[in-house]
Amino acid sequence: MLEIKNLVKSYGRYLAVNNLSLEIPEGEIYGFVGPNGAGKTTTMKIICGLLAATSGEVRLDGVDVTRNSNKIKESIGYMPDFFGVYDDLKVTEYLEFYASIYKIKDKEKKKITNDLLELVDLTQKRDAYVDSLSRGMKQRLCLARALIHNPKLLVLDEPASGLDPRARIEMKEILRNLREMGKTILISSHILSELAELCTHIGIIDSGRMVVSGSVSEIMQKVYSHRVLRIKVSARVDEAELILKENPLISKLSRMEDALQAGFEGSEEDMSRLLAALVGKGIPVVTFSQLDGNLEDVFMRVTKGEEKQ
Amino acid sequence: MNINPVLLKELKVRMRGWRAAGIIILYLLVLALVTFMVMYESYNNIYTSTVDPGRTTGTYTALALIQLVLILFVAPALTAGAISGEREKQTLDLLLCTKLSTRSIVLGKLLASMSQVLLLIVASLPIFSVIFMFGGISIAEVAQLFAFYIIIAITAGSIGIFYSCYLKRTTAATVMTYGTGAFLILGTFFISYFYIGVFLGWDYQGFFPLLYTNPMVGFASLLGDQFGYGIGSIGLPGLRGSTDGRLLGLSPWVVHVAFDFVLTAVLIALSARKLNPVRVKRTRRNAA
Ligand SMILES: Nc1ncnc2c1ncn2[C@@H]1O[C@H](COP(=O)(O)OP(=O)(O)O)[C@@H](O)[C@H]1O
Ligand SMILES: [Mg+2]
Repeated sequence: MLEIKNLVKSYGRYLAVNNLSLEIPEGEIYGFVGPNGAGKTTTMKIICGLLAATSGEVRLDGVDVTRNSNKIKESIGYMPDFFGVYDDLKVTEYLEFYASIYKIKDKEKKKITNDLLELVDLTQKRDAYVDSLSRGMKQRLCLARALIHNPKLLVLDEPASGLDPRARIEMKEILRNLREMGKTILISSHILSELAELCTHIGIIDSGRMVVSGSVSEIMQKVYSHRVLRIKVSARVDEAELILKENPLISKLSRMEDALQAGFEGSEEDMSRLLAALVGKGIPVVTFSQLDGNLEDVFMRVTKGEEKQ
Repeated sequence: MNINPVLLKELKVRMRGWRAAGIIILYLLVLALVTFMVMYESYNNIYTSTVDPGRTTGTYTALALIQLVLILFVAPALTAGAISGEREKQTLDLLLCTKLSTRSIVLGKLLASMSQVLLLIVASLPIFSVIFMFGGISIAEVAQLFAFYIIIAITAGSIGIFYSCYLKRTTAATVMTYGTGAFLILGTFFISYFYIGVFLGWDYQGFFPLLYTNPMVGFASLLGDQFGYGIGSIGLPGLRGSTDGRLLGLSPWVVHVAFDFVLTAVLIALSARKLNPVRVKRTRRNAA
């Protein structure tokens, strides 16, 4: 549905987006993760026709976004990371204003407005002035606004940022509803765990480049193919260390008192084989465990690794 | 049915509360006060026993000029923040990401401001009716003057919109708009006089073409035509000329109105173009 090919955006000599490619099939929730300044907002603005790319291609259902930006804008709902609202406008008037831009008929306008207010849980605030709403409510209202023309693709830039935990949970609840409704969504965050449970796909971006991308399960696999083992023995540490060193799946072995820690690139079967080998040699293994690796770890490792280069 | 949504929203917001009413009341107050002072002065200084059409034209001229100056102050103030204000309030992207064309946004903003100016002009009608007491000025002539006001207001408004698109801050846009207005009113005079003095000599008998762009010259020419004596009677260098400044047989104010139309069209087109993030960059890249 959305296809980005070799996207480049430069500010002078600075590359904010560096040869980025990604693809989002219909119905996917694509999590766009990266630290601040990675280029998420820049990419999203290009998709929404708010910024011109330096080079590269963005296509929505095969249609070039830049060349047909007016047509594309009917199919995209965008929620920016920072935005303001008009003062002197009530919640319903606010939504009806954006509805009128899409030439939605009066009768439909009322119904859509009501439905959306229901969805984002602002029905009680319908007659309040928008600038009197709390941050979380404004954020939800902005999401309703992005949905007003029933877009095919939703582009949400850090929708949960700057919210207190309660508002964050409410926002997540709404996003989960949208997923159930079968919307295609591109959503960004600088916190991976925020997206891991919501998304079907994850792309990690750093310094304008896509570092890792794939389905959440693929990303998980990547995490677990980089497991960290911790082995504790009651005696014969040296021998155990030797056995581990000879194993080709082991990397970055380190020793701390009576415990050994090492990176391990292998499946669970490989792991049990390693344990059998240790026990088979008569090593008194006390614990043989895997340190919890989660998406956050991969993210840290991936982005840190980039920094060092 | 197809009314510009930005215009509708702006009207709704601008007419809400006391601000709109406050602007009208303040405007009428200033207009009435200054008119009263001018009339009082002229009645005390000139002793005439009977109603004199010269006095009517004097009052009319004063009233018309005051209203023109007020419009020249109000129109830029209403438009210079139109786009930059959206940028400052971070609502511009939300507008640009909709399917609304940038030209509709610009026109909606301009028309909303112009509706407000129009309201002021219409509200001033009762004060203008004073001149009908004396006769000498017809309703058609007042209508002509008001049409001229609207054209001037639209031009001033599009200068405001233009700077509002090109400059980030409303204050900068406001300063530049008034600066451009000052240039058109005073600057063109200075340049003309400088040029005439240096290159043509003070006895230059023609109409200096740059002055067609000056709204005050257009205004003077309009009233001059209404009173039946041409602009040449003012007797300023650069405004003389046996043909009374006629270009292709048209009075200076007609030429000025034509200039305003062209300027407005160009400014609106440039504003819409500047506002379109994708279009601007693409042409730049093609040019490179
Ligand atoms: N208008 C701009 N001019 C110059 N640099 C910019 C501009 N906008 C963004 N950048 C730079 O581009 C990089 C990417 O920014 P952004 O896309 O906002 O990152 P993210 O949304 O991932 O935090 C940042 O380093 C930022 O400083
Ligand atoms: Mg960002």
